[in-house]
Parts: sequence; structure tokens; C-alpha cells
Amino acid sequence: MALLLRTLARQGVSVTRPQYSVLYRHAAPMGTTAKEEMNKFWSKNARLNRPMSPHLTIYKWSVPMMMSVTHRGTGVGLSGAISAFALAALVLPGNYPYYLDLIHSLSIGPFLIGLAKFGITFPVSYHTYNGIRHLWWDIGKGFKIPEVYRTGYTVIGLSIITSIALAAI
Amino acid sequence: MAAIVRLSAVCRRGVKPLFYQTTLLARPLVIPHKHQEQPYMLTARIHASQALYAASGSKAASLHWTAERMLSILLLAMGPVAYFNPSPVIDYSLAAALTLHGHWGIGQVVTDYVHGDAKIKMANAGLFLLSTVTFAGLCYFNYNDVGICKAIGLLWSK
Repeated sequence: MALLLRTLARQGVSVTRPQYSVLYRHAAPMGTTAKEEMNKFWSKNARLNRPMSPHLTIYKWSVPMMMSVTHRGTGVGLSGAISAFALAALVLPGNYPYYLDLIHSLSIGPFLIGLAKFGITFPVSYHTYNGIRHLWWDIGKGFKIPEVYRTGYTVIGLSIITSIALAAI
Repeated sequence: MAAIVRLSAVCRRGVKPLFYQTTLLARPLVIPHKHQEQPYMLTARIHASQALYAASGSKAASLHWTAERMLSILLLAMGPVAYFNPSPVIDYSLAAALTLHGHWGIGQVVTDYVHGDAKIKMANAGLFLLSTVTFAGLCYFNYNDVGICKAIGLLWSK
């Protein structure tokens, strides 16, 4: 009875005041932040010249893995394209219709023009549809493996259809 | 005795948080016989993640995460608006949203692949410069040239 009261009373004290040392009699206190731990880990790796585990070269490629890489790739690519466009707008003389007419005058065949349009529409479509899939995950849905594959194939299918349709207009 | 258990468990935080406790560093206790039907209250008392809270109280990272998703949804909504209602307002909004979405996205890539305090600082500084120039360029394009919506329209009417 006395032991019980002591145990309960002690825990009652620990909850109301930040004397957490009492709570950690059996557990390791985590006094560092995640960032500190990560930095310590990386500097130790660098210091000991540890080789990096092979990853891309040995793991079997899977559809979700490739889709994730593609999402990142299209994102970086699109971002780079937008930045390049903005830089060109600042640096190049002449305005947009001027350069459009310039491309016109090169008389590139309709197939190549279509291909170029596809080169724009596919990254935009894929990144958009897969972005929606990411937001779906962010609200906690669709994590079961069959669902991951199902939504994945849907994204791929929709991307191809949308980008071909848009490039053909 | 039951009263002591109840009081000490609910004080400071109220009853509701008891049902949302995480038990990261929870240890099984010698549970007194009378209170075996209330195991959640005891694990509440060993709520260790409170200390993690105390160590770094900043919600910056989680707020950033939420802001990223909000911006993504906003950008999604801007698409149809730009198509059906092109205007200078949507041109500048698109410029801002696209640049910020790209800035935060590349920021995540930097976080993933760049290590070491100095390199991280350099990469983020470079990214900031790039994003600033990108936004400036897009605004310049909107002001002095045809604007984003019209530009895409013209490209497609080729």
C-alpha cells in the first residue's frame, strides 16, 4: 500500500512538473535534436571515410520507385525550364512574339513540333497527376501496396493520354 | 486511491489528451489490481514525448510541410482559372505560385542530397538567388511582354 502510494505520488509529481529525469529511470533521455544527430552521423561517416552502401545499382527497380524518381526528375526539369525562360526574358532582346515567329520561320515539320509540345505536356501532366497522388497520400489514403500500384498505373495512363491529347491540339 | 490516480493523470492536460498519447518510451508498470481496466491512464503518466517537445519547441518544420501542401492545392486550382479566365491577376499569381512551389521543391532536393553545414548554406543561398531571379524574370515578362497565360496560348496556336 505504501509502495503503491509512493509510486503513484511520484508519477503524479513528474507529470505536473518538468522533472523528467524521474521518468527516465529505465529509458534513455533524448536530449539532442534530430538535426544534431544527423550532422553527427554524416561527419562521422566522412571522418572514417566510410563507403556508401550500393543502392541504385543493386536494388530491383520497382514501379513506385521509378515513379518517385520521375516525379522528382520532372519537377527539377520543369523548375529549370521556368528559370531558364525567366532568365531569357530578362536577358534576350526582343519580345515573345518575335521569338515565336523566329521558330515559325524555321519551318520545322508538324511531327517535330508535336514532339516538342509533347516534351512540354508530358512532364507537366505527369508531375500534376502524380502530385495529386502525393496529396492523396498526405491525407493518409492509398498506402496499401495494391493501391499504390493501382493509383500509380492510373497516373501513368492519364499522363500519357493527356499529354498526347494536348500535344495534338 | 482511485481518486489520486485520476487526479494526477488528468491534471495539467485535461482528459482529452489521454486518448491521444503516444507511448514512445513507455514501460510496462506494475499495474495495481484495481486499475487494470484503465491502462491508458498509466501510460499517460509515462508520456515521454513531452520531453522531446521541451527540447525543441519549434513547429517551423511541420508548418512548412503544411504550407507546401496548401500551395500545391492552390497551384492545382490556378490551372483551370488560368485557362478559362486569363488576366494579369492570374499571370502574377501564377508567377508567384510557380516560383515558390519550385523553390520549396528544389529546397527538398537540396535537403536530401547536400550534406555538411557549409555546403547546405551555399546550396540554399544559390537556390534563393535562382528563385529570386526567376520571379523577377516572370514578373518582367508579365509586365513588359504578353504575360504567362497569353504566352502559352500563343505557343499552342502555332
